[in-house]
Amino acid sequence: MNTTRTGVPAHRRTRDAARLVALFVALWASVSADAGAQQPARPAAQPAAPAVAPPAQAPAAAPQAGNPPFQVPVPPAGRLVAITNATILTASHGTIERGTIVIRDGRIAEIGTNVQVPAGAQVIDGTGKYVMPGIIDSHAHTALEAVNEGSNSVTSEVRVEDVLRQDGGGIYRELAGGVTTIQVYHGSANTIGGQSSTLKLRYGLPVDSLYFQGAPLGLKFALGENVRQTNYQPQPGQPRRYPLTRMGVEEVLRDAFTRAQAYRREWQAYETARRAVRRGQPEPLAPRRDLQLDPLVEILEGRRLAHVHAYRAEEMLMMMGVARDFGFRVASFEHGLEGYKIGNELAAAGTGVSTFADFWAYKLEAWDAIPQNAALMAERGVVVSINSDSDERSRRLYQEAAKTVHYGGASEDEALRMITLNPARQLGIDSRVGSIDVGKDADLAIFNGHPFAPGSRVEKTLIDGRVFFDRDSAPTLENLIEQMRRQQPRQGGRPVTSAGGAQ
Amino acid sequence: MNRALRLSTAALVLALVAPTGLAAQQASTPRAPVAYAIRNATIVPVVGPRVTGGTIVLRNGRIEAVGANVTVPADAQVIDGTGLFVYPGLIDSGTRLGLTEIGSVPGGEDTQELGDFNPHNDALSAVNPSSEIIPTVRVNGVTTAITSARGGVIAGQAALIDLMGWTPQEMAVLPRAGMVITFPRIRSGRRFGGEGSQQGGEAQAEEVNRQTRALRTYLTNAKAYAEIKARLAAGAPGTQEVSLPMEAMVPVIRGESPVIFEVETAEQIRGALAIADSFRLRVILRGARFAWRLADTLAARRIPVIVGPTVSSPGDGDPYDAIYAYPGVLARAGVKIAFQTDNASDSRNLAYNVALATAYGLDPDEALRSVTINAAQIWGVADRYGSLEVGKVANVIVTTGDPLDARTQMRHIFIRGQPVPFAGRHDRLYEQFRARPRS
Repeated sequence: MNTTRTGVPAHRRTRDAARLVALFVALWASVSADAGAQQPARPAAQPAAPAVAPPAQAPAAAPQAGNPPFQVPVPPAGRLVAITNATILTASHGTIERGTIVIRDGRIAEIGTNVQVPAGAQVIDGTGKYVMPGIIDSHAHTALEAVNEGSNSVTSEVRVEDVLRQDGGGIYRELAGGVTTIQVYHGSANTIGGQSSTLKLRYGLPVDSLYFQGAPLGLKFALGENVRQTNYQPQPGQPRRYPLTRMGVEEVLRDAFTRAQAYRREWQAYETARRAVRRGQPEPLAPRRDLQLDPLVEILEGRRLAHVHAYRAEEMLMMMGVARDFGFRVASFEHGLEGYKIGNELAAAGTGVSTFADFWAYKLEAWDAIPQNAALMAERGVVVSINSDSDERSRRLYQEAAKTVHYGGASEDEALRMITLNPARQLGIDSRVGSIDVGKDADLAIFNGHPFAPGSRVEKTLIDGRVFFDRDSAPTLENLIEQMRRQQPRQGGRPVTSAGGAQ
Repeated sequence: MNRALRLSTAALVLALVAPTGLAAQQASTPRAPVAYAIRNATIVPVVGPRVTGGTIVLRNGRIEAVGANVTVPADAQVIDGTGLFVYPGLIDSGTRLGLTEIGSVPGGEDTQELGDFNPHNDALSAVNPSSEIIPTVRVNGVTTAITSARGGVIAGQAALIDLMGWTPQEMAVLPRAGMVITFPRIRSGRRFGGEGSQQGGEAQAEEVNRQTRALRTYLTNAKAYAEIKARLAAGAPGTQEVSLPMEAMVPVIRGESPVIFEVETAEQIRGALAIADSFRLRVILRGARFAWRLADTLAARRIPVIVGPTVSSPGDGDPYDAIYAYPGVLARAGVKIAFQTDNASDSRNLAYNVALATAYGLDPDEALRSVTINAAQIWGVADRYGSLEVGKVANVIVTTGDPLDARTQMRHIFIRGQPVPFAGRHDRLYEQFRARPRS
């Protein structure tokens, strides 16, 4: 890895390397067939410079299973899995009735109605079931110890990957809602909030195994009320923080990118000087590394995606203007509740919008939000996804997507893509996930009915062909009640209270 | 809303207002026709079997006729119901509709009064009939809702309202539907971002004890006040200084007005039932996400439970599906349930809250009853609301399918026999920007 170009500081490289080794030892030891961890690195669709080195660079021979250092509640998957006789919603090429999906080493190997189940395959009977691509929630804050570094309005140096945790409930409940990939962001307190991460919800494994290896880098920006802190009362004696207006937000953005440009020229001059050094001559001194500006340089060079929290149409136009002036593209507006007003401009700029299905009226900038937003933007050619921004909403994104059919008349296929292929495109991971196609990661959600139908629920969720959620063995309320009845028969007619806590 | 639907609605509205329209020719004035007939539809009356190829006639705000062999009156405006379904309007048993517009804007939220005891506050008087949120809710099939203040211990009287009308009083179904009491609880101070201002556990527990004692004291005083009032009325000599809060408590103490007890845990439910026993209160539980632990008790005591919102997360130590599944557990145990969204703008998602429960064990028929006839029974208005029966208020929704299915479209909504225009804030903005030229 060229440290000069990627701008990864030495201490971070060391830590990342150590982390990687730990990751590999852990994964190999716990589950030898964890296809997700062993995926060879693939060039990402767009900016390709993963901060975490790809697995291919890990030691070729790792300790084999035998004495797993971690107790994982997830069963190791076979290398060969077949889901048979199911209705398959591919998201890319329509619906296949009574189809079979064969998974080899965590990837989709075959799909169709005339597919032979290979000998020795672990078979999941899909009779009466619906299989869809694992849901991608392109805007989440799950698994984070902290969300906002609210001290300054520019904190591009902070990284959510530094505060990841395998939280007890959020990740598991999202899995139970069919979600397999999430994009975790900083909050929206700052104009430039920090570096985001793409995760696969490999629940139960060490926290490092959450990374979606090879996913493009991202940076979270934010505009509008949250950055302006309009709904935030400073403590007595605490000064207000610049900016307080949308005009100030634009200035902060232009200032940051202007500094990044100068910083980039400094490094370019250094590189030129270094290349010109003759043998025996002293090397020129490198400029001082600036952790805040490195990610902005990556944006300028197209090696990192800009994801921008925004609500109002004019602030999105402002941001696209800044991007145009500095020569980059906004990958996605997050929320973008007024995106329907500027569908033409968004489509022309190739900027996606990751929005809510129908959440509105919770603040002034969400007052012009309409539930037809997603469908109307899609009509104009914008790549639209439906996100959660909440652990709670994330676990029922399939119902949220169905609302785009209800409002604005999106087709069911289009609605399905808004939580699968479209967010994958916005995040630059659509070559890997987002649809049921041969060669893609076997990230799948199996429902007991059509995902948009009212009585449907997730039965199984697979990541890399491995069953990370299985309702058959999940701790459900019914199981708990049954267990309580068995363990503690009623005494004096008073129902037992052993479980469930007091909350 | 698709284009066809929009046009049909527009045509309907046009027919109502255009002086040269059909309505004008048939009626003596250019006002709305007095009768509507929806013909050849699948009618789901909720009470009784569904009728295919049925007709329902709405006149003077009431259901005049419903069934398979109903003759369309000559003066009725006819709506072709071929391929459509007719249901009673849905009832949301817990909202802040009309009291909240934009919550985070100063003045946008009108539900939180100072002080712990405000029984004399009536939600109805503060309901804004022109709320921009209400039209977006009713076009999704919610025609009737409980709306109430929150906060403190006794928040005041909830109102049951129809979601159309010129004044709050006109909207009212029940100006006073129940006294909202929040059972004292430990409040989580966790805020977005993780680090919340969690008060110390002991201090919180002490506050809960203090509030619980205060609630018992308050009810004891109210009981005494009601007794003195009764004795004076019976001719006993003496006088009583009028107290507005105490006056408001008299119907509660007499069991004429139910108490809507906001509870969560099993301990709170037990506490609420103990207080109800002490003071002989008529109790409706609301929220009650741990009511599944007392399902048999609640069923035996015939305590109704307003469940939801199901769009909510369980605690990390609880089963992942606890919130989705508990309505079904209660219903199967024989508890009468209805649903709430506990919201204003999100009230339009009532049916989808219910749908989540059906995916985790709530019977679909019971699910439909929970937002129609059950709710009407719990609020004591089942003689007028909650089903498609002759004589009942004509709150009617005409859909393309199951209202619990998010893919289903609403085609016509009637509140008190009047068609609801699909012309809320969202529809206006949608039309405006849909018409923006491409490029």
